[in-house]
Amino acid sequence: MSWAAELTEVLGRENVITDPARLRTYECDGLTGYRVVPAMVVLPRSAAEVAAAVGVCARHGVPFVARGAGTGLSGGALPVADGIVISLQRLRRIVEVDPVNLRAVVEPGVTNLDISKAAAPYGLYYAPDPSSQQVCTIGGNVAENSGGAHCLKYGFTVNHVLAAEVVLADGTVTTLGGDSPQLPGYDLLGAFIGSEGTLGIVTQVTVRLLAKPAAVRTMVADFATVAGAGDAVTGIVAAGIVPAAIEMLDNLAIQAVAASTQSVYTLDTVAALVVELDGPPDDVAEQFEQVQEICRAHGCTKVLVAEDAEQRALIWTGRKAAFAAVGRISPDYFVQDGVVPRGRLAEVLGRIAAMADEAGVRVANVFHAGDGNLHPLVLYSEAAGEHDRAERLSTEIAELCVELGGSLSGEHGIGADKACSMPRMFGEDDLATMLRLRSAFDPGGLCNPGKVFPTPRLCGERPGRYRPHPLEEAGVIERL
Amino acid sequence: MVLTNGSFDAHRPPRRELLDDCVHCGFCLPSCPTYAVGGEEMDSPRGRIYLMDLAERGEIPLDRTMAGHIDSCLGCLACVTACPSGVQYDLLLEATRPQLERHVPRTRRDRLVRRAVFAVFPYPARMRVAALFGVLYRRLGLRALTHRLGIVDRLPAELRAAEGLLPPVKVRSLFRRLPARVAAVGERRLRVALLEGCAQRVLFGDVNAATARVLAAEGCEVVVPEGQRCCGALNLHAGLEDDAAARARRLIDTFEKAEADVVVANVAGCGSSMKEYDRLLADDPAYAERAARFAASVRDVTELLAELEPRAPRHPIQAKVAYHDACHLANAQRIRRQPRDLLRAVPGIELTDIAEAELCCGSAGIYNLVQPVAAEELGRRKAANIEAAAPDVIATANAGCLLQVRRFLGRDIPLVHPIEILDASIRGVPLERARR
Amino acid sequence: MSTVTTYRPTTLRALRDALADGAGGRLVIAGTGTAADWGGAPEYDGVLDTTGMSGLISYNPTDMTVAVQAGMPLATLQETLAEHGQWVALDPARAAAGATVGGLIATGDAGPVRHTFGTLRDCVIGVTVVLADATVARSGGHVIKNVAGYDLAKLFHGSLGTLGVLAEVILRVHPRAAATATLAVRCDAATAFDLGARLIHGSLEPVAVEWCDGTLLARFDGTPGGVEDRLRRARELAGSDATDTADAAADAWAVVGALVRGADGDTVVRIGTAPDRLPALAALVDRAAAEHAVDAAMTSSPFAGAHTVRLRGGAAAAHAAVVTALRTAHPATTVCRWTDGLRAELPAWGEPPPAVAVLRAVKHAFDPDDRLGSGRFAPWF
Ligand SMILES: Cc1cc2nc3c(=O)[nH]c(=O)nc-3n(C[C@H](O)[C@H](O)[C@H](O)COP(=O)(O)OP(=O)(O)OC[C@H]3O[C@@H](n4cnc5c(N)ncnc54)[C@H](O)[C@@H]3O)c2cc1C
Ligand code: SF4
Ligand code: SF4
Repeated sequence: MSWAAELTEVLGRENVITDPARLRTYECDGLTGYRVVPAMVVLPRSAAEVAAAVGVCARHGVPFVARGAGTGLSGGALPVADGIVISLQRLRRIVEVDPVNLRAVVEPGVTNLDISKAAAPYGLYYAPDPSSQQVCTIGGNVAENSGGAHCLKYGFTVNHVLAAEVVLADGTVTTLGGDSPQLPGYDLLGAFIGSEGTLGIVTQVTVRLLAKPAAVRTMVADFATVAGAGDAVTGIVAAGIVPAAIEMLDNLAIQAVAASTQSVYTLDTVAALVVELDGPPDDVAEQFEQVQEICRAHGCTKVLVAEDAEQRALIWTGRKAAFAAVGRISPDYFVQDGVVPRGRLAEVLGRIAAMADEAGVRVANVFHAGDGNLHPLVLYSEAAGEHDRAERLSTEIAELCVELGGSLSGEHGIGADKACSMPRMFGEDDLATMLRLRSAFDPGGLCNPGKVFPTPRLCGERPGRYRPHPLEEAGVIERL
Repeated sequence: MVLTNGSFDAHRPPRRELLDDCVHCGFCLPSCPTYAVGGEEMDSPRGRIYLMDLAERGEIPLDRTMAGHIDSCLGCLACVTACPSGVQYDLLLEATRPQLERHVPRTRRDRLVRRAVFAVFPYPARMRVAALFGVLYRRLGLRALTHRLGIVDRLPAELRAAEGLLPPVKVRSLFRRLPARVAAVGERRLRVALLEGCAQRVLFGDVNAATARVLAAEGCEVVVPEGQRCCGALNLHAGLEDDAAARARRLIDTFEKAEADVVVANVAGCGSSMKEYDRLLADDPAYAERAARFAASVRDVTELLAELEPRAPRHPIQAKVAYHDACHLANAQRIRRQPRDLLRAVPGIELTDIAEAELCCGSAGIYNLVQPVAAEELGRRKAANIEAAAPDVIATANAGCLLQVRRFLGRDIPLVHPIEILDASIRGVPLERARR
Repeated sequence: MSTVTTYRPTTLRALRDALADGAGGRLVIAGTGTAADWGGAPEYDGVLDTTGMSGLISYNPTDMTVAVQAGMPLATLQETLAEHGQWVALDPARAAAGATVGGLIATGDAGPVRHTFGTLRDCVIGVTVVLADATVARSGGHVIKNVAGYDLAKLFHGSLGTLGVLAEVILRVHPRAAATATLAVRCDAATAFDLGARLIHGSLEPVAVEWCDGTLLARFDGTPGGVEDRLRRARELAGSDATDTADAAADAWAVVGALVRGADGDTVVRIGTAPDRLPALAALVDRAAAEHAVDAAMTSSPFAGAHTVRLRGGAAAAHAAVVTALRTAHPATTVCRWTDGLRAELPAWGEPPPAVAVLRAVKHAFDPDDRLGSGRFAPWF
């Protein structure tokens, strides 16, 4: 029997998609620049069905790609031609919320926000909060090690997942992690999280829940210069304060937000910082004052303190809608995701502005300033023929981050998009060692192939040149 | 440069700029009822827009596959509300449906069901006959009998849906008509013309009476234009553009004669389509301007009341009320706050939230009649969420929602239009009595 | 065993050369030796001593990251950071005995603040490792947020020297709190769990909750005003048994450290469970210890699901019986200290975890000839 017939038999006709037009709706994720039509999409309804589908793939050597909500911004869920897409959108059960052990067990298709909603009656919540939390799935979060505004204080997905049931590339099912973070043996779970779907498919996740903080204070501080805002961030962090979140929006981003939702941001400010503190009331109150002082010391022109939950929600809705809202001020855009050491924020923002001027395209900035995780949005018009220029600038910005001692990606992943830039950050041996891990999980290379790691087919024979880390250039560390 | 519309014909295809607004972020997915049910990309807003986009580029044909995914859309417009990028899916849908109607022949069975629906719903007289039949069917115990015999289970799904929807109407209210004019109580603030609605008039005559009373109590002179017909909402949402336009012209003619300041609707679906008349008739030189004026004068009754400083005193009503957002009110007209504010202003009313509030109940015009399986799942889901909130009363501003939700409630929770609560409060009578 | 070669490199290059030197044969990787006993007893022809690689590579307080050679003792690093009001949010008992940063990663060890900050896995942002075949590989980097490539640091967490040598480690650091205070309450395990839960659900945000030897210790870090307020509210929840003098607290925390480290002749095991297993585990420890006439003490970070049990006195066979009872109920158990003769009585590990096949495959991919720490995970692999 052909693999296609076998899959249809195993899963049932109503759970496989083969019609060409329907398949095309799966050809890309949140990064629409890359498109590949898969040979088939399957929609299993249980972990056992996922395992069965992967088993068929393993027997026939068919590559497979897991897909959650398809909001990934690096082409991680980009299908493989002649391969299948395994959509986890029918595994959407919240298996258990366990307030005593402060955890929840959910299927991979459950959205990030729905976990917090299910935990809310117990005064608990799930901390990592990607801007896409209302739609992205926990399976996708695990694959991407997603972060969010509040990860500055609380850490990323990897810090909040206790266990994952995983279907391995040979179709067997196992559990990584367990009841406690303190388990003997290699931290396979930690290595799996952030592996971008290349080590297996998650079919159940146990996440840690936190008690809601007693107090939350949120403010928006306006600045007359981007550098001032950047320095304020450095100042807050250096003062030993760990806010729940420090986010920055520049003027273009603020205009986009204003065009999209009821906006609380000052329309003509050059830059704004959203600073949120949470925790015990007295601690928060004390530090909230301190943060305002630091902002003022760095030339803050206006502070808006959220009066109530509603106003706080407005601040966050605006921030979280910012990427998509940019669609209102520009027909097309690239989202970049580089990271720089926090002390170099002001510097990197200045250089990006200069590069944008030179390239003659606009760049909007809205990002997780506290982590040094930039999201420059390179705005362009496909119709006006600006695509190539914008793409070049976007790549240059990511590589600038590496040059400044940072990273190609803070949270969106390497996926298909940045695989060819990986050699700029890692040497051959680094990548080869990572591939040893991959071969331990998936010796046949069927699980989401072509992502994360550069291949000659993808990148040409000579991928980008390695950029030495500043410490290497300074002779502090050496590359052997 | 040659302008092509890909697989669409040249008559108002979905516009390229509108398609380009979609950045494929997926924020709309969780609010889409059909995606909630099936989890398939092509039955999500993002997927539907993608299909339209591909068709506009000529990369896929207009065929039954495409039509199936556009048909399955409830038109609830929750995606429009959810979209941060400002995608005007409503316009895209309105542009695509007529194209599919023109280019994709329907299956026989589909045609028959649709024809039956359009032959009955827009006509009060026929509706009344059907409803009367429904009442008798119930009264005479035929309903229990057919259920017992398992006949219902053997009906085609579409008919089963229609059977299930029959509301418990009283014969008296079937034939109740509103007086042509109700005078304002006290000094007149406005002259308003009330749309009776076709299904509404027959099945929810009580609501119209309550609406007229409340408006009058708040100082509005209410006129009910004689000879008003269906507003065309059902046709419009089903892609029958020409029929909808014809109905719109007739309704404008009728209402212009009333010379009112404001046209009031109390059915969300009707209100939202009347507010779109300007777009619908934009290409008609004889009507474009009049349609624009008309559309601008349309208000939902809760919208209008929220604009008026309350005058009539409210008497207390002790009840926990779950307010269910009707899609055509919340998403199409963006009216969410006003009905809630009005209800909260009634002393004694406790308003409670319903989980998954943004998710459509599956009623959506004629959706529950033509896509019964998905509609049924959505109805159950909505009913379960409502029951979890344990309200004494459910309030919602759309006849279709009332019918749909009622069908799936396990418990007998009274369903009312918010205006009925207001009416009871202003009159100072218990809610149950007010509805008699 | 004939002659044992010892390597003590001080640079990455020398470390690589040591591994490239085939004469070393099978190697055991050693830091200060505070965890030399963990798990199985490896067989080796050579020792790779990392304590020569103890330098600070770079530290930029404004970025709140620090890069060190893996042989640096954690305590030394904390001193440097303290000068800038910062610390690595980790307080393992072994730090006082000189445990190195690399050794702490390889053992996945932590102390009471694991309640809030987890283990080193949650603080490491980059590593350089050298594999058995002398391949030098880096992953992660110098920024706290980074998802480029696989995270090898995680893989090496808990590796007990069997995958490669950690050469350089980059850590994120945290600001030191302006004030800290501890509440101590004498109570049994069930009460401790219950009270701990009330502190957490009451959003009092204790930075550590430890139940040690019949006393619940809850530590609060924060601003002076905030800590005082929370301590007061915690005391109200705890009732009359609570004490919170600074001296008593310091002593109580010292007891935790001493218990975890153990002494010659003790057996110490570390156990991972779900939080609510604490009372059952405590009862099991008491029962098994009484039955086999050994003296048992335990300390737990219940909400991090980590417990340490120390057995003292009695014969090796009695220790073996208690460990077996614990391991049967809770397979995620590591023996960290073995009383004399215990190894002869007991396999190094109990029931393997479900993913043992993957563990084995990873080991094979990184060290196909089983050159590093051979036998450390026997009988699993
Ligand atoms: C507007 C917008 C804002 C965003 N904001 C943020 C942000 O603030 N922070 C952030 O981190 N990300 C953000 N993202 C990116 C994206 O939402 C995250 O990467 C998210 O985790 C992807 O989840 P998904 O369910 O959409 O996964 P998909 O896009 O479907 O898949 C992502 C990857 O995960 C794999 N995968 C999916 N499910 C599984 C599974 N069950 N098992 C194994 N592998 C799986 C896929 O193969 C793919 O490689 C944003 C995206 C958008 C569009
Ligand atoms: S209108 Fe409703 S059913 Fe249609 S795509 Fe939008 S959300 Fe889905
Ligand atoms: S319609 Fe709006 S919300 Fe939905 S994918 Fe497109 S841009 Fe995103």
